[in-house]
Amino acid sequence: MTVKPTRRGLLKGTLGGTLTAALTGCRSEQARGELSQLTAPGEKIVDAIPVDVTVNRTATQIAAGPDTTALEAVRNQLGLTGTKLACGHGACGACTIQVDGKPVASCLLPATSLHRRRVTTVEGLATDLRGLHPVQRAFIGEDAMQCGYCTPGFVVEAAAFFDAWRAEHGKQPPSREVIADALSGHLCRCGAYTQIYAAIARACEGAYDNAGERGPRYDAREKVTGQAKYTVDVQLPNMVYGAIGRAHVAHATIRRIDWSRALKHPGVYAAVDLTMGVRTIRFAGQELVAIAAESEAIARHALTLVDYDLDVYTPIIGIEAGRTAKDHVYTSRATRKQAPNANEAPLLPLKWRGNLRGPFQLFSKSRGKARRAVTEAKDSGDAKRLAGGQFSTQTQCHSTLEPHACVADWRDDLLVVHLSTQGVHQAAEDIAKRFDLPAERVQVLAQHVGGGFGGKAVLSLELVAAVELSRQLGRPVRVVLDRHEELATGGNRPAQEIDLALAADTEGKFTGVQVKSFADAGVAVGSAPSILFRIMYAKTPKKLEDWDVVTHAAPGKPLRAPGGPPAFWALEQAVDELAHARSEDPIALRRRNDPNPARKELYTWAESLPLWRDRATSIAADSGRYRRGVGLAVGGWFYFVQPSARVQVDTTPGGFVVSTACQDIGNGSKSVLAQAVANVFGIDPGMVAIRVGDSKLVPGPMSAGSRTATTIGPAATQAAENLREELLEIAEAQLGYRGAQAIPGGLRHSAGETSWGEVLARAPRLTTIGRRKRDRKGYVFGIGGLAAGRYVSGSLQVSEVEVDTRLGTVRVLQSQVGLGVGKIFTPVLARSQATGGVIQGISYALYEERRLDPNTGAVLTGNLEDYRIAGLGDVGTIDIHFMQKGFENVTGGGVGLAELVKLAPAAALGNAVFHATGYRPRHLPLRPDRVLKGLRT
Amino acid sequence: MMLFPRTLEELAGQRGTPRAGGTDLQDRRRLGLSTGPIVDLRDLTGLDAITWNPDGSVAIGARTTIAQLAADDQLKARYPGFAAAAGGLATPQIREVATLGGNLLQQVRCWYYRHPNLRCLRSGGTSCLAREGDHLFHACFDQGPCAAPHPSTMAAALLAYDATVELRDGQRLTAAELVGNGSDPTQSHSLQPGQLLTRVHLPPAVPGELGAYLRATNRTRAEWPLVEAVVRVRLAGGSFEQVAIALGGVANTPLRIQALEAALAGQPATLKVIDDRSKVAVNGAKPLPGTGYKLDLIPGVIASALVLALKQQPGDKPAGGAL
Repeated sequence: MTVKPTRRGLLKGTLGGTLTAALTGCRSEQARGELSQLTAPGEKIVDAIPVDVTVNRTATQIAAGPDTTALEAVRNQLGLTGTKLACGHGACGACTIQVDGKPVASCLLPATSLHRRRVTTVEGLATDLRGLHPVQRAFIGEDAMQCGYCTPGFVVEAAAFFDAWRAEHGKQPPSREVIADALSGHLCRCGAYTQIYAAIARACEGAYDNAGERGPRYDAREKVTGQAKYTVDVQLPNMVYGAIGRAHVAHATIRRIDWSRALKHPGVYAAVDLTMGVRTIRFAGQELVAIAAESEAIARHALTLVDYDLDVYTPIIGIEAGRTAKDHVYTSRATRKQAPNANEAPLLPLKWRGNLRGPFQLFSKSRGKARRAVTEAKDSGDAKRLAGGQFSTQTQCHSTLEPHACVADWRDDLLVVHLSTQGVHQAAEDIAKRFDLPAERVQVLAQHVGGGFGGKAVLSLELVAAVELSRQLGRPVRVVLDRHEELATGGNRPAQEIDLALAADTEGKFTGVQVKSFADAGVAVGSAPSILFRIMYAKTPKKLEDWDVVTHAAPGKPLRAPGGPPAFWALEQAVDELAHARSEDPIALRRRNDPNPARKELYTWAESLPLWRDRATSIAADSGRYRRGVGLAVGGWFYFVQPSARVQVDTTPGGFVVSTACQDIGNGSKSVLAQAVANVFGIDPGMVAIRVGDSKLVPGPMSAGSRTATTIGPAATQAAENLREELLEIAEAQLGYRGAQAIPGGLRHSAGETSWGEVLARAPRLTTIGRRKRDRKGYVFGIGGLAAGRYVSGSLQVSEVEVDTRLGTVRVLQSQVGLGVGKIFTPVLARSQATGGVIQGISYALYEERRLDPNTGAVLTGNLEDYRIAGLGDVGTIDIHFMQKGFENVTGGGVGLAELVKLAPAAALGNAVFHATGYRPRHLPLRPDRVLKGLRT
Repeated sequence: MMLFPRTLEELAGQRGTPRAGGTDLQDRRRLGLSTGPIVDLRDLTGLDAITWNPDGSVAIGARTTIAQLAADDQLKARYPGFAAAAGGLATPQIREVATLGGNLLQQVRCWYYRHPNLRCLRSGGTSCLAREGDHLFHACFDQGPCAAPHPSTMAAALLAYDATVELRDGQRLTAAELVGNGSDPTQSHSLQPGQLLTRVHLPPAVPGELGAYLRATNRTRAEWPLVEAVVRVRLAGGSFEQVAIALGGVANTPLRIQALEAALAGQPATLKVIDDRSKVAVNGAKPLPGTGYKLDLIPGVIASALVLALKQQPGDKPAGGAL
């Protein structure tokens, strides 16, 4: 393998899709006249009436205009930012408040209707008398959250449910069905449903009536109380609001953009051109201008006053159109260079043929042998020797619940950028470069980040807009995408068509894999799942070809396990197909062909599972309306570390302070750091204070590529160990503890034992910086601060589904998931991340699908009703089994799992559907119309 | 501008868009699909009651919330399909504030109509974009010109229960008159500007009648229906005596499926009969190129709803094999 993914690779071709090459300044213009000095955040409300309302037990008054929502009133007028805007459509529940004790979606609720009502927000759930609500304590205790952005909504709804349930049923636990019904109006993008079920049920049982307010996640208390501040919650004095004007058509050339009418509109301050010289519109939603105004509403209204003079052309939408169209998305060598990179690896030069780019064949292995093997198997006419066919997968959107958001404050001495990002350190470097500033003049802050999944790993245009507008105006500027913008341009996993042939000999030994895959990443290129076929069944010869098909759609981006779910959807179903054709146990077939040591162990584990062992021996064993089946699939993934990352540990008289310029996007970075240091000293993690989310701290890793825990865990451990040695020396030399030895919690010395707390109180302040030591056998490669490890992790998923043959639905009943990733740093959080990944995989397999209008390229699934994300009731039970060995040469003994867990779910469900019905699904998602059609034929 | 009428008399002279729960209107105002003054019904009294008449009929105020309908014991006992329809739509947070009147008069949920940048027949454009474009979730009984399914589950329930609606001026419309025949592509109902729906009247329940509601969806919950059915059944001696079936999600109005009602009447109430006859429901369907699958769903949804209704019978379960 000679391709070297680099950290730079992650950044290339990412500025808002089409605009990569142009790093020129932006044309901009300010409105004439004086700028108003805002006194309060939010907006002046036209035509407002006063509304008397009691909020969190305090009588107050709000101003309600005709269109003011309860959410806006609560957040902007009362400053209660715990209540979140996510979908704006009543579908996700992040904005839930209680009105007279009943949960309602405040994003659709007219503020007028609060008149003389009693409102409780997440900030008001705790009372002086009882402290946190039992449900809040249960969410902490059961770790029922990741990024925390949906948490206030869940907690407010669950608290009302708890109160009603207790009144009626006492301490009887509610069933999963009852909980799913009650919370059907809530979505968690991270997929913390397994833990949310547990939290609500256990709270109702009384397990948290008198529980404490601490749990395994470092920042859980902030999240359940609404105190956690996300970028969207940042309010700075004098801040103004920016909004982005976007192309409404998918294919056009720009003659002229005239914003003069918009600039004359009262309350509008400035406009900037975001085209950066590119005169072609290549997708609906492409960023064209940004406008700053005294309110978001005025800014968005002003966008309607911008005049675009365009020549509009027919767009090319979808893979088939891309392959056959006579027109080309990129018409010249120069414009092809503008094509953004959909992947993490750097783009290699490849041939273009119209809208096709490829083939990318680098990961093939014994190509000729593979081709001959497939031909031979075909020619043999023996169905037991050949499996596969054409598989396809849909476009999936990242759709983090906190949208892309930026508040930029361009000051003379420092550009401060509050950014919803997966990499504060990286973003600061890139911003300095992009705006030609010395590195020390840029600071990026992200205290809490409402999800990332790869969509916030690189700079995008909301940042450029906010920074440019702030530079113009000398005031802080906030730019936040709405849900439609987020779903249209916030990032997506490309749609994929995969032709796969798997050949075997009569003994069931794989003889060749031949794959031709086509990716529709819109205007982006570089989607290359072939490396995943290469690392699976690694000894088998492979002929692998990746092709990009460019179309007039928003650019794809890396999405948690880029290329993975489509590749494994095809490969692992083909393996299953071959096993069934051979009438062989699917595990036996895999074991024969799979040299991976992590999975070898998992096969043995799976064979012991009653779910697998006791499954029906025949296909379509049920004959009734509801048919159950069990499917198995495996996955494998690389691991990365960021050797350049540092973790600093300071002592203070009050405890330890750990800091690094990483961020917690819900992956639990803060908890990993606290746990690592606490383990070294044998103390409670509560004694450890964590500082992340600030680029001015020592450089930390990005939260991407499953690298965080395996990077910062060992680095924090090293720093803490060095610190412990230093403290021992000081204790001996300066503090008079003779023969001091470290024991859990403190020192043992000639006069007895002393806690670390006492030692710190007397010791001088110390600082150490730790880094992650190199793996014992080094890396496959290491470049630009990122290193790829030598080992491949393994996963195995067994799922049971029930297919309703009348209504075409596939319900997941249960999943058993084994993971071979070595040592687990924070077990509770690792489990949460694993179940969350499986849930995202289920959601992808069954529901999620971005759909574009075939005629205009407009995004039709621009809200969370039409873009379906799995809810509580859709995921079944999930058990995670960690196989904690096999990575002894890896520093810290364990590797990341965030991406690994996303690989097997779709294929496991596909194989289960086949087992249940005899219908082999090939296209995702498994919508009812497809299932019904499949069952008919 | 906003007006806050306290009585129907005050409301009489006021022009503007009535707003009850706001769950549809707020969304449309943000999209620019509804503009102008608002007549906020917040302070209007007297329209949120469920009033039983001596003859067993009921009058339900238009401002009664969907959650109230779903939880009302009397409604559940006498009109089980109606109450179940209320309980089966949207999410608990929406049902808490959405009203019966608002549900009946909401606009379609078509992804073209509600697109921020596109204009279709309903929003000032010249053609139905779904018909020419992506209509995966649209009508399979194509009545033209708009291909979006009627959005109101409660309208299907009204149709099944032979309900009438009362307007502010006392005028009465049948449920079928309220929803129209789908020929007006700009409205999901036949009310003129200035008219206000004040009450829904349900005739007395037939003694012993059973009822149920079911929707087919992709996810388990919180989704607009692919197909939905409200059914009413009265049995006599183990046979269907009277059957009423209304479908939603399949046409730009809810539909009464009279052919199937007739085909079931007098037949033994067995699973086999239900299964065989339910296919009649798709007679006359005109699917769009992408909605043919709904013709498979319709018999399944109706049959499942009928079984649910029959299961309410005390101690007398349907026989004849699994559906």
